[in-house]
This record gives sequence, C-alpha cells and structure tokens, in this order.
Amino acid sequence: MQHALILDGVTKRFGDFTAVDQLSLQIPKGCIYGFLGQNGAGKTTTIRMVMSIFHPDEGSITVLGKPDAASLKDRLGYLPEEKGLYKKMRTAEIVAYFGKLKGMDSTTANLKARELLTTYGLGEWLDKKCESLSKGMGQKVQLLGTLIHDPELVILDEPFSGLDPVNRDLMRDTILRMKHEGRTVIFSTHVMEQAEQLCDHVMMLHRSKLQFAGPLGEIKQGREFSIQLDYDGDGRVLQQLPGAIRVNDHGKQAEIFLQHGDDPQLALRWLIERITIRRFEYRAPTLHEIFVRTVESANQKLANKASTEGAR
Amino acid sequence: MANKTILVAQREYLENVRTKTFWIGIIAFPVIIAISISAGWILNKLKQQQSYAVLDLSAQKIADRIERAARTPDLLALGKLLKSNEQLPAALQRAKAGMKNALPINGSNEEANPPEEVLIDLMQVMRELPASDLDTLIASNKGMSTARKYEHQSLQQLGLDTLEPAVQKKRLNELVEKGTLFAFFEIGVAPLTSLGDFNYVSNNLTDGALRDWYGEAATRVVQSLRIKDAKLDPKVAQAIAEQVRFREQKVGKDGDAQDVKSGEKANKYAPFGFVYLLWVAIFTAAQMLLTNTVEEKSNRIIEVLLSSVSPLELMSGKIWGIAATGLTIVGSWVVCTLLGVWLAPRLITGMDFPLMEVIGDPLYLISFVAYFLGGYLLFAAILVGLGSVTNSLKEAQNLLQPVFVLMMVPLVSMFFVVQEPNGTVAKVLSYIPLFTPFTMMNRAGGPPAAYEYVITGLLLLVSVIVAFRLAGKVFRIGVLMTGNPPKLREILGWLRAK
Repeated sequence: MQHALILDGVTKRFGDFTAVDQLSLQIPKGCIYGFLGQNGAGKTTTIRMVMSIFHPDEGSITVLGKPDAASLKDRLGYLPEEKGLYKKMRTAEIVAYFGKLKGMDSTTANLKARELLTTYGLGEWLDKKCESLSKGMGQKVQLLGTLIHDPELVILDEPFSGLDPVNRDLMRDTILRMKHEGRTVIFSTHVMEQAEQLCDHVMMLHRSKLQFAGPLGEIKQGREFSIQLDYDGDGRVLQQLPGAIRVNDHGKQAEIFLQHGDDPQLALRWLIERITIRRFEYRAPTLHEIFVRTVESANQKLANKASTEGAR
Repeated sequence: MANKTILVAQREYLENVRTKTFWIGIIAFPVIIAISISAGWILNKLKQQQSYAVLDLSAQKIADRIERAARTPDLLALGKLLKSNEQLPAALQRAKAGMKNALPINGSNEEANPPEEVLIDLMQVMRELPASDLDTLIASNKGMSTARKYEHQSLQQLGLDTLEPAVQKKRLNELVEKGTLFAFFEIGVAPLTSLGDFNYVSNNLTDGALRDWYGEAATRVVQSLRIKDAKLDPKVAQAIAEQVRFREQKVGKDGDAQDVKSGEKANKYAPFGFVYLLWVAIFTAAQMLLTNTVEEKSNRIIEVLLSSVSPLELMSGKIWGIAATGLTIVGSWVVCTLLGVWLAPRLITGMDFPLMEVIGDPLYLISFVAYFLGGYLLFAAILVGLGSVTNSLKEAQNLLQPVFVLMMVPLVSMFFVVQEPNGTVAKVLSYIPLFTPFTMMNRAGGPPAAYEYVITGLLLLVSVIVAFRLAGKVFRIGVLMTGNPPKLREILGWLRAK
C-alpha cells in the first residue's frame, strides 16, 4: 500500500519539554485519518512538523514519498486550528492569494477563488473585505484558501471547532468529497463522535506518546463490549445495575460495561423495569470510551512509575 | 528573490498603498512642512498695520528727522523707482513732475546717503501716495516694506496738537489703551545730554519690531546731532563708529580663498532637514513593519502562511514589501521637494531661496534614498526580530525602549555633526552602522572623503546582511510562539542554533 505520510521515530523537544516522543505512523493514501488526543498532547506539533514549519529533533518524516516536505508544500493543504484572515483584504483576493502562494498562476487562482466562493454560497461577498464577514463565513473562506490548489494531502487542525451545525455538515461533506476524489485527509479533533463517524484510521497521542494507531475497526477489536442505550427516566439507577463496573451516563444516552462474563440480557431486563429504553445495543465500545480509558490507564502508569521512582 | 517572497512583498505593498489614509499621510507631510516654512513669512506679511504716534518734547524737535531716518530704505526705493523708466501710477507721475529737488544721480555717493532735502521731498510723495498704489508697489516687490507696516499718526491727525504736553500724554495713553494706537514714542527733552526720558508705551509686550525699528533710527539721529554738537568732523565720527565686519570666505579647490555664497551656507545646514526626514521615514517604515508583524502573529494568519512559504521567505517578503512602501513615501517626498523647488520662486516673489537650490541637489536626493534603504533594512531586521517574539503591540513597545534610545542618538548629535562635519564625533558615529545613514547624511555638507563613503557603506551592508541572518533565526521560532515572551537567554540560544 502506498503511503501519503510516514513518520519514523519522530521526536520534538522544546527546551526540556518533549512535545512529541518517538512517534512512528503510516498513513495510507486516500483515507481519512484522525489525530486524537487531549489538548497539549502533541497533535499540533506533529502537524507542524509534517508541514515543515517545525523540524523534528530526531526521526524522519516522509510526505508523499519525499523526505522533505518543504519542497512539496505546494501539494499540501493546511488549515490551522487558530484561524485568521487579513482584515483589509477582499474575500476573493485572499483565497486567490493563498492559491498563488501555493504556486498557482495569478489568473487561474483568481478565477478559481471566485468559483469556489460562489459554490460555497459566498457569491455576494466576493469583493467584500474580510473584516465584514461573520465568524462562520470567515472559517469558510479560510477552508477554501486551504483547498484552492487541489492539494493531495490535506491537514485540518480541529476543523470542526466553533462551527454551527450547518457549517459542520458542510465541513464533513467537504472532507468526504476529498476522500472520494482520492486525496488524503488528516484531521485532529478531541470530539470523538466526529472521528468515529468520519475516520478510516485513527491514532491517539497522550502526553507526547503514541497510545494506539490503525484502522478504526482494528482498534476496537478485542476490547470489552459495552451496552449502549438511549433512555428516558432517572439515570441514577444505572449506577445500581448489578454487575456494572463502569457507567458513562450522558443523561439521555449511556454506555455501561459489565463484569466479564455477565449476560447483557439480564441487564436489559433489570433496566426495563426501572427506566424507558429507546435503544439497546451490545457492541464494541465507543471511541469516546476507548479515549477515556486510554487516558486513565496512561496516567495510572505514569503515577505508578513516579511512585516507584520516588520510593527508590 | 524567490517567487514567494515577491508575492508576500507585493501583498504587503498593495495593502498599504491602496488605502486612502496612506496617500493622505504622504501628502500631508510635505504640505505641513510647506505650510510651516511659509507660515512665518505669510504671517509676517499679514501682520496688521501698526499705528504709532510720537510725542516730541525735545528742544530740537527731532521727530521728523527720526521718521525720515527710519524710512530711508523705503524712500531710496521710491527714489529709484521714480528715476527708472518704468510705468508709474498716475499719482507718482504727477509727483515726479512736481518735485522740487532733483533725484540723486545713479552710482554717485549721494545715492546711498541722499541729501536731506531729497528725503523730505520723497517723504512728501510717499505720504500723498494713495494706499492702493502703495500696496501695488509693495506687492510687486519694489521695496517700501515698512511704508504700510508702520503707520505714523501725527498729533495733528489725532487732534492733540494744540494741547498741553501733560494732557497730550494722557490722551495718548488712552488711545493705546483703546487700541487706536499700537504704541507711542515719547522723545525726551534733551536728547543731546540725557536719554533717560525716552519712553515707548504699548500694551503689546511681545512684538518689539516697531520699537527696534524706530529706536535704531532715533539712535542714528541722536548720534549725528551729538557729533554736530561736539563739532566733530562727521567723516571722522563715522570712521570711529564704523563696525568691523569679517567677510566669510573658504578655501576653494584651487587652494585660494573665495567668498562664501549664500547658497553654500545653506548647503551646510541642508543636511539638518534631510537627517530629520530620513529619521522620520526610517522610523515610520520600521514601525509599520513591527505593527504588521505583531498583528499577523496575533491574528494567527502566520501559520497558514508558513505552511506555504518558509519563514525566511515570509520575513524578507514583509521587509521588502514595506521597503517598497517606504520608498514610495520617500519618493513622493522627493517629488514634492523638486516640485516645491521649482514652484516656490514662481509663486512667491520676494523670498530668497538658496536653500531650495541645495535641497534640489541630486546628490542629496540620491543619497537620501540610498541611506533610507540601508538604514531601514537594518532597523527593519531588528524590529521584525523583536516583533516576532511578542504577542501584542504593548509588549512590543516595551521591548522597543532600547531601540528608541538608540534612534535618538542621531537626532541628539545632529547639531554637533552639522557644525563639525569632519570632527571626531561625526567620524566615530559614521562607523557605527546603526547611525551610518543619519551621520553620513548629516555630514554631506562637509563633505566626507570618498573612502569614508565606501568603508561606512560596506560596514552598513555587512551589518544589514548579518542582521537579516540573526533576525531570520529569531523570527523562525519566535513567530509561532505564544504565551510569555522568551527570555533573552533563550533568544541567544536560538541565535546560536543552526
């Protein structure tokens, strides 16, 4: 399989702080790849290294088959987490400017910018200054600036944060369309539902270290199944369910883990008598659960390590 | 220059240049300077006529003589005019025909010191000349500048001539108080022996021009009376009173002393203006760069840009884009200057413009542009480095303090350097790259030796290159940093990193 991106033993330090520690990854071409992790886990640093904004202290990065991303920046698209535009520039101008910076010639960039903006419903704003745009429109403009040059590999850092439901769907559709066109999309998020819905592959960083990486199915494989239910009623009773070792109650939805070997049917029967069940599933755990568990066990490991070191 | 650097530069330039405020700013500066240069001159012209009266208590009744002495330059100008073949106003034609005493002959000694009768006649002509004619003559620069500026009101005109001196004085005081008179002079009883009771009464304490003008004439008259009284030969007296005046000369290229022309003196002072403009231009542009860098950093657009261009390309793009903006400003000023030099003598008559010729000197203009570029690039590198490690303008301002102090040096030393363009201070400052542009511009009147231009120029060039390198290293890391600005030690670490 061809890879859009290969990271091999990549490490980045800022002074005494190691932001990314020995990260190795292989990202196949044409997939949607999710970078998961808490804030400060090292996602953005990794992305910046891929974009050759930072250079790794150790290890190597191969982007689209080339060892040096600097020479092929024009084939990459990058939407940073913090989004900004030149306030005084006109919308069509700034999208075209981003295109030109990616090596497009002036005429093509100008035409494409207007075409894209019109397609995305900003036809009336082509010649308006960026400062007059609403936040959502500004984000759209920024996204179009990232995509105008038809990049082969697109990296979106927290693309969904701050978007309203309509623009969220638009972002999702855009990502899916890019996948169908054969491009590779990497996006980082800490909203697990999004990753679960969209990603073919995910990886998770915690405290600069890789916790897991691979196709979503493989990651879920071998993990304890969980009861996932939608319900009405007093959720506090869920805590009293016999055999339950973990309950993630969201108010209307819940995810419950049973002791190994316990029968979910018995649990269902017990629950029906106490609350109204609208949906009941017994299946592989959600990404959310995997994420939280991973964070917990990683923190536990660190705490143990610290205490044994302290005892010494 | 890399393609992307040009793109960045182009954007920076267009963003600045296409705003209206930019052009208003550009135009405003020369306009303000032109106004302030001409304001003093115009204000002086517009100054209200000042009326005065004279209370002459002297036994010799010297007021008329003082009046004539004070107005001699005007009267001579009038005499010259009457003698010329120019088209004269009708009133003057008649006056010329009716004059009792012949006008002094051209070139004779009498022309400078005309006989008293001629002055009396001319005074009569001037008094009878209609104000409108006088204005026309003054406007066409025929001299007679004081004729309208200071207006003498006789006691007869004021209706005080028949009163007792004590009453006259009281009335005059009232007239000054009311504002009818700007001032009145009281000439003492015995000018030959005592000057104690010569008074000048006015409620305006700041404008002493009338007092000085009249006082000088009174001094001359009193002096000549005393010479006469002491039975001194007037020629001897004049010889004694004569002042020594050194004629200004300088050693020319052929080794001989030559007279200094007025333009040459202006030449020595012209750098003043240029240094100041240079300072303003460099500071404006460098400040623009700093603001722009901090803004770009704080609105996070920098990260998008860095995914397309390298930090070095981005930095040099910004620096060159703003250099182009600065050059546009400086270029517009140069054009305005040339325009002013060309226009001023055509628009305003009666003003001496040696300075204008000097400013228009291409050597000055070209070195001005060159030194702008050198100085700007050096300060730009420093400020862009500073800007990249700060998160807000406020933080940047704090870091700017030391740079401000450095930038004050050329302004503070400006006066010393212009006085001693080849002195030690000037030479030492020339070799410090940060000050080279200002100091060399400042010394242009000297001028410095050619080798100094070459060496200081090279030093400047080398420092620009080094500063760019170092700024690039700081910029690369600093521009993506958020949170606390890095400590000096950290920045030094970045500089050492490859």
